[in-house]
Amino acid sequence: MSPDLVLQQALNGISFGALLFILAAGLSLIFGMMDVVNLAHGAFYMLGAYITLKIVDVTQQFWPAIVVAPLALALLGLVLEPTLLRRLRGRHLDQVLLTIGVALVMADLIGLFWGREIRALPFPPGLDGSVVIAGNVYPIYRLFVIAFAIGLALLLAYLHRRTAVGALIRAGVDDAEMLSALGVDTDRLFAFTFAVGAGLAGLAGVIAAPAFGVHPGMDVEALIYSLIVVVVGGLGTLTGAAAGAGLVGPADTFGKTLFQEFALALIFAIMAVVLLARPSGLFGRIRISR
Amino acid sequence: MTAAAEARSSRILAAPSVYAGLAVVAVAALLTFPEWASGIEGSRYWESILRDVLVFGIYALSLDLLVGRAGMPSLGHAAFFGGGAYAAAISAARLGTDELVVTLTAAILVAAFLAVVIGVLSVRASGIFFLMLTLAFAQMVFALAFQWTDVTGGSNGFSAIRRPMAFGLDLNPADALYRTVVVVFAVVVLLLWWLHRSQYGRALVGVRENERRMRALGYDTVRLKLSAFVLAGALAGVAGALSTWSFRIVSANDVGLSRSVEAFVMVLIGGAGTLLGPIVGAGVVVYIDRVLSSSIPFSQTVLGLVFVVFVLAARQGIVGSMRSALARARR
Repeated sequence: MSPDLVLQQALNGISFGALLFILAAGLSLIFGMMDVVNLAHGAFYMLGAYITLKIVDVTQQFWPAIVVAPLALALLGLVLEPTLLRRLRGRHLDQVLLTIGVALVMADLIGLFWGREIRALPFPPGLDGSVVIAGNVYPIYRLFVIAFAIGLALLLAYLHRRTAVGALIRAGVDDAEMLSALGVDTDRLFAFTFAVGAGLAGLAGVIAAPAFGVHPGMDVEALIYSLIVVVVGGLGTLTGAAAGAGLVGPADTFGKTLFQEFALALIFAIMAVVLLARPSGLFGRIRISR
Repeated sequence: MTAAAEARSSRILAAPSVYAGLAVVAVAALLTFPEWASGIEGSRYWESILRDVLVFGIYALSLDLLVGRAGMPSLGHAAFFGGGAYAAAISAARLGTDELVVTLTAAILVAAFLAVVIGVLSVRASGIFFLMLTLAFAQMVFALAFQWTDVTGGSNGFSAIRRPMAFGLDLNPADALYRTVVVVFAVVVLLLWWLHRSQYGRALVGVRENERRMRALGYDTVRLKLSAFVLAGALAGVAGALSTWSFRIVSANDVGLSRSVEAFVMVLIGGAGTLLGPIVGAGVVVYIDRVLSSSIPFSQTVLGLVFVVFVLAARQGIVGSMRSALARARR
């Protein structure tokens, strides 16, 4: 690989990692609080992207989507948590199975309403150009994704560490039962957490739509990538999501350039090494395997 | 019913010979279906539906060995189903053979090999983590099937696959293939029936109930779980090979997540940890996928909703719930 190509691919990889961070942050947040791996996370992401498509089709504008889609997904999460997950409180595996059913229904209904074709979206105006970096032409939108993810990470870290809600979430992640005994309404806290996680998945869908388009099967792709990110980075912490995304994004991008069809072998190898050497992931607090 | 009559009826219901007799009758009825059903409207269609139920029944039973018996919730079982399906098609083409024994062996070996690789990395995890890992690793097999075009035919896969010969019998006619599927199904059910009664089967249930105690008793639980994982993978490979011959098509779909989910749905709807449950579940899912889907465009939504209802309200599945109801009625 020429140095130019390396630089370009590095930027691509970081940009992809930035998107993965937005995607995995929600999954990790929900898991940290509720011990539930939300397997509908990919479907939430997909719905976010399709809502974006709808908004762009109707209004010819992209930016409303970045507010509307995450809010819509958060609302959906706010409905689903009390109506479905809460009924199985404490039965974590059954809750996970429940999210499989939700994912099946959502992916099918999305296909029914929007059709099952591949659709591309234009880059938002202002971000549709490209810049020259070290002699290479580079699309601005990818730089925007990186900047956006960094901004979001800082915001989330601030909310997490410096606000009252963040303190409640940290306490809930630590020991939800104790928190409940102290008089905090953990039902509301769980519903809120699930809503925020769903909203983050929707946000990732919005950001991804102009770069990757929308298509059936994007839900599964997103789910798998976010699972890999949290296994590698560690479950339940923001740092873990960031570290996993920062590693998996570039590895995937370089893997695709170097090995083409065997790109996933590199990801597989990373996952295998992490599982064998550090079963709790790079920054996780929970051991995934013994 | 008087107490004596009740005791007698429950004794009759509990006797293994009754079940064995029923099973023999069922297999005989299945084997002769092409004859006795020939007058019924659409019997060829229903024969193919029945065949699919049996093929997916084997698939569901193989997953139940993990989910229902050993307590290992694998969400990556399609890797082995698909691995077997591809192996059956590819080995026939590359080796230029029509022999069922050769291609079925290839399917079993490939599925078992994949299960060893994925199992070594996954079986130390349990519960949700095991589920996550099997899901992620199986999706890598999917990507391999999708992208390794030279070997797997890429996104097209293989179509118009010739059915094999079994001991000189040509399986291309529908009835011949159907009967072969019935025989293989009966063998698998018998094998699993025996296995679940064996000391090994009991040890697996012990791992599900209390793995730590089993370790304390001196069992190598990791080895137990890995062996179950590989055995279940090999059986899924058998189901995959049968599906290759049934549909005469193999594609990346056979390795995909929805195929894994399908098996899980079958096991749970039918009843995990029973021999009949996964077969009943396969019946329900095949019905929704093949019969219902031709009349409504949102059959997957129906499947998802049915699954949600069962997880919420009838976690024991159809057979498990009926068994509990029977036990209550008897008391």
